[in-house]
Amino acid sequence: MKFLRFVLIFILSISSISVNAEENDKRNQITKNLRCLICQGQSVYDSDSEFANSLKIVVDKKLQEGLSEDQIYEYFKNKYGEWILYDPGLNKNTYILWLLPILIFLIGGAIIYKSFIVKK
Amino acid sequence: MIYSLVGYYSLIIGLIIGLSLFYFSYKNFNNSNILDIKILSFTFLQLFFVFISFLCLIFSFVVSDFSNETVFNNSHTTKPLFYKVSGTWGNHEGSLLLWLLVLTLFIFLFLLRTKNQPIKYKILTLVFQQIIIIGFFLFLIKTSNPFNYIFPIPTEGLGLNPILQDPALAIHPPILYLGYVGSSIIFSSVLAATSLKIISTSWASHIKEWILISWIFLTLGILLGSIWAYYELGWGGFWFWDPVENVSLMPWLALTTLLHCILVLEKKSILTSWVIILSIATFTLSMCGTFLVRSGILNSVHTFANDPERGLFILVFLFILIFLSILIFFFFHKDNDRKSYSFFWLSKETSILINNWFMMYFLSVVLIGTVYPIFLDVISSQKISVGPPFYHKLIIPFLIPFLFMMAIGPKLKWIKSQLEDKIYLISFLIISISLAFLVIKNFNQNILINTILISSALYLFFITLRDFFAKKYKNISQNIAHFGFSLLILSILFNNLFATEIITNLKVGETFENSKTKIVFESVVQKKEQNYNAIVANFSISNLNGEEDRFSPELRIYNQPVIATSEADIKTTLMSDKFIVINLVQNQDFFNVRYQVKPLMLWIWLSVILVSFGGIVSFLQKRS
Repeated sequence: MKFLRFVLIFILSISSISVNAEENDKRNQITKNLRCLICQGQSVYDSDSEFANSLKIVVDKKLQEGLSEDQIYEYFKNKYGEWILYDPGLNKNTYILWLLPILIFLIGGAIIYKSFIVKK
Repeated sequence: MIYSLVGYYSLIIGLIIGLSLFYFSYKNFNNSNILDIKILSFTFLQLFFVFISFLCLIFSFVVSDFSNETVFNNSHTTKPLFYKVSGTWGNHEGSLLLWLLVLTLFIFLFLLRTKNQPIKYKILTLVFQQIIIIGFFLFLIKTSNPFNYIFPIPTEGLGLNPILQDPALAIHPPILYLGYVGSSIIFSSVLAATSLKIISTSWASHIKEWILISWIFLTLGILLGSIWAYYELGWGGFWFWDPVENVSLMPWLALTTLLHCILVLEKKSILTSWVIILSIATFTLSMCGTFLVRSGILNSVHTFANDPERGLFILVFLFILIFLSILIFFFFHKDNDRKSYSFFWLSKETSILINNWFMMYFLSVVLIGTVYPIFLDVISSQKISVGPPFYHKLIIPFLIPFLFMMAIGPKLKWIKSQLEDKIYLISFLIISISLAFLVIKNFNQNILINTILISSALYLFFITLRDFFAKKYKNISQNIAHFGFSLLILSILFNNLFATEIITNLKVGETFENSKTKIVFESVVQKKEQNYNAIVANFSISNLNGEEDRFSPELRIYNQPVIATSEADIKTTLMSDKFIVINLVQNQDFFNVRYQVKPLMLWIWLSVILVSFGGIVSFLQKRS
């Protein structure tokens, strides 16, 4: 259980790995996590399409209004659907997505431990 | 006309040879003192005819024979010769023909080079490989014939997507396919060896060579794709966790796991089931890669060439292959080495198992992240995106113990080991942590996680670096690869942490200035080339130290098809890359300018080359 907690703490602390203090960096951070809906596999940050540029302006405006990062994601999610977010939150649609790899890791460890390390 | 005809009938002949090889194999199998010379010569003939067919397609492209549908769809008379040739495999039909060519090439080389292995094993490997080859022949001829006629003959072709008109992308598919398809030999061979129950240390030693070959090509193939994405797609990133990138990473992860696992099998006859499963998985993932990319299921930068019906064929074919391998696995494979299974906790075996454990975890993250959105879309028609944040959160924390294991694992001995030279292992740890802390401490955010991450990479770096000079240590290939990997992680980390960027809108003649950088937009000139027209913007950029660089990024308008692209201008030095790209903003007279300084960019590429160089050294050592 200790190990699990260790892993969880790591995952949580890493989730904010590249948030910068400055406003501009905050915008970059947010737009990196938004999909440019009319492009092929590009984030809003990477794209220079009209759609992406207008979204960048919206993000700026929302930041000036004092919305937090999560509130902005929520805003875009309500407006365009979950498809726009590159970071799928943990909800009933994504339990499998987030937890299955961890589960595989734990099961793998258990198999190795049981069948190879412990002397029978 | 004539090329298409010859090319098409060569394919038919190749298919017939494939079928006849079954017959010869059957006859030879029951009477197998020596390998029937007919088998070798027919395998060569098959390779020859596929090669002729491939040459015909290249010629059709070179002479711009628009009676050929593939050429019509993907070429244009004004294209430079180099891209006419590379256009051959820049499309669905041509790239599958290339798959087929590599498949036949590998089995021929395999028969030629394999010595000291039972004849029955060689024949059976051939049979399994022919099943794959015939599948591809049928796929090519039935659903994606590269030699279809068009009548009336068009006078001009539709052209090649301009983002594909690039030297790195011209060689990226062939190299990647050598890696992908190389795994087919491992697949066929493992099925043959399982059927004959000859999976042993000597088999492991023999197949390791083939694992190394495909691993080297796969590594370099992924590298080329990444370099291309970096300078051509114009966002300055080199890895986006795009589904198509993931699809090439998955076989690489499986193959790397197999490469480590085979080391154990080479020494002792254990982990046989695991080696079989990994071999099957690697090839299946390569096939899935082709399926996912070509079927159009993926929403990504690569879906310029897709067709759902073809996807169905590959899917059915894939199921047959998987079914066949599962059948063989359960019918023939008996795990008779249960007794010798337990390992001492501190031993090379255990460290390799831990490597396999983590690699499988990384593989499952990438696999689930890539497939789950498709799955969710199908069952509940809800669309979600799984992007970089997901992969970073699940992979980075696990990378830390993984890096430490990479440093210590290779030092352990087989069966039972003790940690030697504890003092220097610990002192290196202290040095790494303090060095990492010194580098990171000026950052306001996430000091803890970045320090740990960098120190683990530094640790691997120092340990492997020292081992180059340690006399008693002689596994040079492993050391090069692990050293390269530490360099890769360090370069990526520093690249992310210290990259700076300026995004601004400028008109011609204007200047942007902040505390560190001065950007002068000097002029705009027009340029006319054979296959595109371009606007070239001239910038001069100077930094604090008064160093001045001149940049000329371009906006290109390709003529066939008419597509506008931005060409970045990049100045590469050992320490950092300066990257500038411009874009037009609609209805405005200014340009959107994006200028990035990316530290250690070159080292990301160099370190991957170093990693694969480790593989090359290992391969050469096996040869001699």
